[in-house]
Amino acid sequence: MRGFLISIKRTPFQSAASFSVLFFSLFLTFFLLFSLAFFEGILAYLETRPQIIAYFQPKTNENEIFKIRDELVSSGKVLSIKYTDQKEAFENYKKMNQDNPLLLEMVSADILPPSLEIYAKKPIFLPQIAEYLKKQASVDEVQFQKDILDRLLTLTSILRKISLTFFIYLFLMTTTVLVTITHFKIALKKEEIEILNLLGASHSYIRRPFLKEAFFMGIFASIFAFSIIIAILFYFQPFLNSYLQGISSLSLNILNLNLLIWPINWSFLSITFLVTSLFGVLVSLFSTFLATKKYL
Amino acid sequence: MIIFENVTKKFPLGNVALENVSFSVEEGEFVFLVGPSGAGKTTILKLILRELLPTSGSIFVDEMDIADKNFSKILTLRRNLGVVFQDFKIIYDKNVFENVALSLQVLEKYSFLEIKEKVKEALSIVGLADKEKVFPIQLSAGELQRVAIARAIVGERKIILADEPTGNLDPQTSWEIMKIFKKIEKEKTIIFATHNVDIVNSFQRRVLVLKNGKIVKDLRKGKYEF
Repeated sequence: MRGFLISIKRTPFQSAASFSVLFFSLFLTFFLLFSLAFFEGILAYLETRPQIIAYFQPKTNENEIFKIRDELVSSGKVLSIKYTDQKEAFENYKKMNQDNPLLLEMVSADILPPSLEIYAKKPIFLPQIAEYLKKQASVDEVQFQKDILDRLLTLTSILRKISLTFFIYLFLMTTTVLVTITHFKIALKKEEIEILNLLGASHSYIRRPFLKEAFFMGIFASIFAFSIIIAILFYFQPFLNSYLQGISSLSLNILNLNLLIWPINWSFLSITFLVTSLFGVLVSLFSTFLATKKYL
Repeated sequence: MIIFENVTKKFPLGNVALENVSFSVEEGEFVFLVGPSGAGKTTILKLILRELLPTSGSIFVDEMDIADKNFSKILTLRRNLGVVFQDFKIIYDKNVFENVALSLQVLEKYSFLEIKEKVKEALSIVGLADKEKVFPIQLSAGELQRVAIARAIVGERKIILADEPTGNLDPQTSWEIMKIFKKIEKEKTIIFATHNVDIVNSFQRRVLVLKNGKIVKDLRKGKYEF
């Protein structure tokens, strides 16, 4: 640690440049990770919303509806099904249109259709379930949200690709800049390195202070970038709360581990911090190793 | 301990720094390399240090062929050598203790306490025992050269190569530096490049006289004659 501080004191501009580029890259990495996690979380949330609503003809016998429901449940493709009878549908209608008495007067429970709200276990089962329902004579209409989900899946996939591309770019940019800065530092220590060589210092001995500095630089840049991201997250928390109104929680399933990401969860933040710090330390060490290998 | 066999060193542009040079130096010997500028004194020292490789011929230092490309052998070679330069080659942002300690730290085998003890011993030999925490900027040229000598002699470095160590010093300081070399000559093999006639003549040690890259005289207990 003392060597690290001395090195900063001796080469303040180079150290500031290394820190800035690492901070910038890690800040963007944090931002990308958070954005991706939120997007994935919203997608996971939407997948749990009713994905197919089947409206039956108003006079359909309830037993017939239950028979279709049971068949769907026994197919193993359905996560859950909610039945809404005509009375409940009317209650819902009344709630939705309580400010419009004219609409309320025109509608009675008899004309509203009973319905089944179906949640599929996987998005790929949706077309099959919809197809099955359409074939039933008592089913009047099938509302299928496949398009919305497909669009979200596409968007998430694009975001993943953009993140990966950007991440690779950040890695290459950071590595190039850090190699250049380390080259400057080596040039500034040319005489000291020459003395060390004459005294019989091994390559690893000469390289070690550069690598130690790179390690601490990675750690400190991660901590700083994380602190800024956390401050921004908490600053925008009220806005996010209102934006995500109605969504009680967002979570991600990673390696069979259900990770809560919203409301703000310290386990998720800690994992993100560890992953990003590891990236910061590795990229810093890798760049310095490359530079010392090439220029020492 | 040091053997040069028909060593020639030519530089890429064609100038010949050494031509067919042969000599040997025994353990514990004190040898002056003398001659005018460009005679090849520094080239001999650089060849021993393996900063340069000979164009032809062989050089053995402590039975190791310096042409050996094995890096660990090169490290072993350099760890046996202490070097003193005319321009001191001191690290200015390290204090006296740290500059001398560096010579032991690079060996990566001594504890801090051992280093402390050995550095104090070396500093007392060169008369800087009370200046271990002083930074080079606060030292005179003579004191800087003493730091360089302490760095060269500390620990187990058996061979001391001195490349005109009094070249930048006034006569009085030069003699003080030479007293240090006299003090350490019993324990080390010393090769001392200089063109200071008075020093060579007063020491009465072996003198290798170089001229145009050739050894023209090898005088036991000799004097420097133009």
